[in-house]
Amino acid sequence: MKIKSRSGIMMISTFVIIVMSVLFVALPEGINAQQEENVFVTHSGAVVKTTGEVLDPLYTSATVEFDPMEYLRDFNYGQISQLEDGNTLREFTIIANDDKIMEVSPGIFYNVWTFNGTVPGPTIRATEGDIVRIKFINNGEKEHTIHFHGIHPAGMDGVFEPVGGNGGQFIYEFEAGPVGVHPYHCHVMPLEEHIVHGLYGVFIVDPKEKRPTADEMVMVLNGLDTDFDTENNFYAANTIPFYYQHHPIQINTDELIRVYVVNMVEFDPINNFHLHGNLYKYYPTGTDVVPSFYTDMITLSQTERGIMEFEYQYPGKYLFHAHKVEFSEKGWVGIFMVNENKKGMVSEGYGS
Amino acid sequence: MEVSTKSSKGKLIASGVIPFAFLIILIAYIFGPGSELLDLGVPLPEITMEKVDFLDSEIQVTVRNTGPISVEIAMADINDRIQPAAVEPDRYLERYETALVRIPFEWNEAEPYRIGITVEDGTRFEKEIEAAAPALEPSFELLGFFAIIGTYVGIIPVMIGLLWLPFIKRISKQKYHFFLALTAGLLLFLGIDSIEEALEVSNESLADSFNGVMLVATVLILSFLGLYYAGEKLVSRAKSSRITKPVAIALMISIGIGLHNFGEGLAIGAAVGLGSIAFSTFLIIGFAVHNTTEGIAIAAPMSREKNVIGKLAVMGLIAGAPAIFGAWIGGFVYSPFTSVVFLSIGAGAIFQVIITILKWIREQGDKNLSSAAMASGFAVGMVIMYLTSILI
Repeated sequence: MKIKSRSGIMMISTFVIIVMSVLFVALPEGINAQQEENVFVTHSGAVVKTTGEVLDPLYTSATVEFDPMEYLRDFNYGQISQLEDGNTLREFTIIANDDKIMEVSPGIFYNVWTFNGTVPGPTIRATEGDIVRIKFINNGEKEHTIHFHGIHPAGMDGVFEPVGGNGGQFIYEFEAGPVGVHPYHCHVMPLEEHIVHGLYGVFIVDPKEKRPTADEMVMVLNGLDTDFDTENNFYAANTIPFYYQHHPIQINTDELIRVYVVNMVEFDPINNFHLHGNLYKYYPTGTDVVPSFYTDMITLSQTERGIMEFEYQYPGKYLFHAHKVEFSEKGWVGIFMVNENKKGMVSEGYGS
Repeated sequence: MEVSTKSSKGKLIASGVIPFAFLIILIAYIFGPGSELLDLGVPLPEITMEKVDFLDSEIQVTVRNTGPISVEIAMADINDRIQPAAVEPDRYLERYETALVRIPFEWNEAEPYRIGITVEDGTRFEKEIEAAAPALEPSFELLGFFAIIGTYVGIIPVMIGLLWLPFIKRISKQKYHFFLALTAGLLLFLGIDSIEEALEVSNESLADSFNGVMLVATVLILSFLGLYYAGEKLVSRAKSSRITKPVAIALMISIGIGLHNFGEGLAIGAAVGLGSIAFSTFLIIGFAVHNTTEGIAIAAPMSREKNVIGKLAVMGLIAGAPAIFGAWIGGFVYSPFTSVVFLSIGAGAIFQVIITILKWIREQGDKNLSSAAMASGFAVGMVIMYLTSILI
């Protein structure tokens, strides 16, 4: 009998261990009686109900600090004055910072390094031959510079003249040229780090004889490596993934659209731009007034850029996105909402 | 007199409690006013995807916060492509808290998938699934399926192994010792095998914070000590009861092997559930051949007994049947933590059995563990197990 009780104890304790472990396993699945139900829609249109929270940067819009819609058509012409020799002087102030934490996608926070508080920095615009004077203030902790693509003296190149943090200053001054669309970016080592954190922007040089009036916009194709593994976690046109999918860009039929596109994606050797339901005239680097291609697909390497011009004949929703589908499924996708152009209404034109 | 005993008791209690009181004060200080002193280093978020289920048009991931700080789940992706998803009950995870991430996705069977979860600071965690397989929904059919697998892998091979009994009965004492040593060799292999598997599971699916290696070591040693103590009592009382010492030893061996087979069943059930193996007949045969040797281990000490058929059958069940329960639990409510715990318990049980057998040989024999029979038996046992393990 005693033996039985001994082995009995052993068996019972083994059993207890088993039961405890089963409970441990079962706990995570524990019943969560919850009240309200949230709903979201999947890629295939299925409606999914959940008692929890929805994680959906694709189809659910969230308020973000940076407004890509405002950036899209925001051109900065500077403070304009006439020089003695008759030239136009355009003065800008650009302030660098590197301590800002921004919500880049719903619920995801990333340390952006900014020119004038945004990524990309302000779009600077001048006419060929104008004198551009940029007062650069570095309020960051690290050294930063501004390196413009274009033609300028060596001392204005923003490479060998690092500007110290916490208030360091530098004046960049040069004649705007050549005509086209150019990037500017910080050129302090390690360069990749300074670029991927967001220190870049667009510099447009208009020809003296203006391009035809159009609905103009700027798209910087960029990526965000939020976990620093030298692979982008997000891609976008103008920083915020999927933004123009939630907020379609409103344009009109029979109105000339001009997009200044600059590819600032790092890590991936190429990016591209595909337009739905239409083709565009493409001017590489914007240096010529005659288009080189008529296509719906161009491939862009790092800092490769150009101008696209197109008109929509039919109203409706049209996608534009990277045809490197990985990029589009990670945020680089948007929609043009083409509205019927009211007859007699002349488009304003943003390029003057 | 009474007063003095009371006061001395009070002193005793006080002297036991005072160090605790200081410890509590220390902890309170570190969490409270002293916390700034320790504000060094950057705590990084960490989550572990413990379980991935492939349901109808949906992939479900059980996520546990296994890092030092609370996290917020912000995004889900499949194969590095962002997907709309839901998280239940909510996105905020305190330490060790779990949440279920539901990702609607038209997955294809048998294809590999990489599941990604991104938390609020942008860190992405990934778990790779070798082959998507439909999640097992508990049903009587499936219950039966696992029972059959458990029977094939656990009960039948052990029973077949027991059929060597008449053979072992007829051989000489030297050869008998050879077979006992062979058993010990078989078991040693199984024990090492269990440890290896426990470490593998903890490496693959258990968060670092569970301290996998030490979890295995602790559970193994507790299991060993517990069974060793219980076994000693059982054997020492054997003389004064109906059960003889060899029977007691065989019983201990079958319990040990049963615990091991439970772990094996867990592994099989989990593998089917996770879709990480295709259940081929070949695999079943491998397990069966492998486990037949376990029958010999039980039969060997019993070979000098009479009227053992009934006892042997019971012991065969004790050793084999846990494979069925293991398969059920592994298939329906898999968790890497339970797997590691049971594999470790099994390993501890087996080492206890080995010690018991070695002591038995010594008492029985020439008080000598270095005889030719011993050494060759042990070696052959290891080799047999190695060769049959290649089949799995």
